Amino acid sequence: MRIEDHPVLEFKRGKKISFTYNGEKVEGYEGETIAAALHAAGVQVLSYSDRHRPRGFYCAIGNCSSCFMEVNGESNVKVCIEPLQEGMDVKTQKGKGEIV
Amino acid sequence: MKNVELLVIGGGPAGLCAAISAAEAGVDVLLAERDEWLGGQLVKQTHMFFGSEKQHASVRGVDIGKLLVKKVEEYKNVEVMKNATVLGLYEDRVVTIQQDGNYVKVNPKSVIITTGASEKTLVFPNNDLPGVYGAGAVQTLMNVYGVKPGNKVLMVGAGNIGLIVSYQLMQAGVDVEAIVDASPNIGGYLVHASKIRRMGVPILTRHTVKEAIGKEALEAAVIWELDDKWQPIPGSEQKLDVDVMCISVGLTPLSELLWQIGCKMEFVGELGGFVPTRSDKLQTSLDGIFVAGDVAGVEEASSAMVEGSLAGLSASSYLGYKIDVVKELERDYLNQLNDLRSGPVGEKIRQGLAKALISEQAANPGQGS
Amino acid sequence: MLEKTGVPTKEQIDSAFPSEERMKKGPFVVVECFQKIPCNPCFTACNRDGIKAFEDINDLPDVDHDNCNGCTLCVSKCPGLAIFVVDMTYSEDKALLKIPYEFLPLPQEGDRVMGLSHGGEEVEKVEVIKVQNPKGFDKTPVISLAVSKDKVKVIRSIKVPKERDRSEDEIVCRCSDVTLEEVRELIRTGHTTFDEIKKISRIGMGPCQGRTCSQLVIREIASITGQDPSSLLPGTYRQIVKSLEMGKVIEALEKEEQENK
Repeated sequence: MRIEDHPVLEFKRGKKISFTYNGEKVEGYEGETIAAALHAAGVQVLSYSDRHRPRGFYCAIGNCSSCFMEVNGESNVKVCIEPLQEGMDVKTQKGKGEIV
Repeated sequence: MKNVELLVIGGGPAGLCAAISAAEAGVDVLLAERDEWLGGQLVKQTHMFFGSEKQHASVRGVDIGKLLVKKVEEYKNVEVMKNATVLGLYEDRVVTIQQDGNYVKVNPKSVIITTGASEKTLVFPNNDLPGVYGAGAVQTLMNVYGVKPGNKVLMVGAGNIGLIVSYQLMQAGVDVEAIVDASPNIGGYLVHASKIRRMGVPILTRHTVKEAIGKEALEAAVIWELDDKWQPIPGSEQKLDVDVMCISVGLTPLSELLWQIGCKMEFVGELGGFVPTRSDKLQTSLDGIFVAGDVAGVEEASSAMVEGSLAGLSASSYLGYKIDVVKELERDYLNQLNDLRSGPVGEKIRQGLAKALISEQAANPGQGS
Repeated sequence: MLEKTGVPTKEQIDSAFPSEERMKKGPFVVVECFQKIPCNPCFTACNRDGIKAFEDINDLPDVDHDNCNGCTLCVSKCPGLAIFVVDMTYSEDKALLKIPYEFLPLPQEGDRVMGLSHGGEEVEKVEVIKVQNPKGFDKTPVISLAVSKDKVKVIRSIKVPKERDRSEDEIVCRCSDVTLEEVRELIRTGHTTFDEIKKISRIGMGPCQGRTCSQLVIREIASITGQDPSSLLPGTYRQIVKSLEMGKVIEALEKEEQENK
């Protein structure tokens, strides 16, 4: 799902880093968001709403609430703008999530 | 509390130009940007811009962004705060900002609000399925991160954004199955429409989405035709095998901060929704509070840049910085705006602005000009 | 029509072309810009007054074809990619058409690609003569195509196969080295019987006499024209089925003559 050749843009990707998605190891690049890395890995469903409806991202610029996931144990992280970091633990969020 | 002369909120085309123009006049500027980078939505505009040389016509938006960022960074009197979301604008002019998770208070003498706009959306069955994305989101994923949104796309909306994003999808190697628009005519520039059409993509006016189909993510979309009263025609349904649906049905000004501080707001459909009333030099109903770009009325980025420069100049004058060429510059900016808006495609904007413009005196009671 | 589908009308396209007389004189620009928008880089790009100064930036470009020499400077500068260059004097039967093209893969010089109309329909195969992509064009390459003269108002884009088209490397006739693409092109241009194809391409006239290729040709005719292969006639079979030295014929004749004496 990554664009390799583009007529106008050149993508300079950072170094490869790995993180876990629901316990499974996934790879992404430094400098991209969690949502971008997941999408490139073929993951579209980021959360399930209160009524158990699957949700992906919608605006990708942090305006809406469609992309909330549980990251390193914290709920309601907007993964469309959250930079990916080595070793992150990313989980599908169900409902409104746990607010500790 | 941090005291500053001028706070510019938003580092998109309008904000960057506002910061440059005020810094040039000698003002100390604080520029707050919510993203980690400057340039706003310019970073994903891979197409050449329209307009004239003064607005960098025929240069790609992404390159215009780089030009402006470089210029801003050259000024020692501009401080840039990135990853800094303005949370609130209070009546006593105190501004609260969240930067990198921290809470910061700022006390500016003047503010230019250039927060831009957000995308409108549509309601239809399963409109929340993963795979149904805002056009801007698809642009970000593709042009900022180099990730394809999917393989086959239905574009909903044939305004400039819908047409441009369709073209960019094709450049990224993604198939666009069709572009639908409920209007009887294509809303965007026809040259954009033609360059997509000649690559074989059908543009279906008077068509809209009936429903999205899929279990965990989008698997297909059903479109149907509308009659001349905008009512769907039963039996006209077509099912398209697409894994992405891109919603591009216009923008609306991102105006929360203006409401918070108490600017007079007016609903102007032609400008995308509620906009602040303002003088021709972009001061709102409140002294020292200026606006520029899409938050003042949704338009092209070319106008946003000129408005930014004009607002920067107005704020400088308000703060007491007198530069010799102020009248000349003002005239130039106003002429540029007039040129960009004077043609047939600017008609809607002109009508909208007529409703939002107030005279200098009314905008600024007690001070005159 | 344009405002509903993105496809300009015939009248609009005609209006972008100069007089017949001017067309005969050499390359010229075709500006298919039919909507007033605030935009003037075409004027800024032109250094010979081929596009007149704009009184109002919203004006449509005012082209002076007498000043224009088809230099192509404006083609990559138009944000709407609405400018093309046509040269009717390119050759006896072909015109040169230059188009802006911002997709990958770019075609290569010498490629034969499908020409597309304003509406994206396939028109005819065209030869790529030149691919210009210098830094100054800022990632808007200009592709020069040899197109039939009557198609200069019709072709506006090209379809470049994502995977390189290998049909040029697919050989139908080993005797005369005829490729599948050449056979298909003949069928598409109306040569729909084996004999017609044989007479033009020499397929079936070589040492194998059609034993290797005729089935392949028949299959292609059937698939492109939609006919049932069983209804298609093979070519005319002529004597002889295998090559033979002329000397042997003469030898045989001489022998026969002597026996008859």
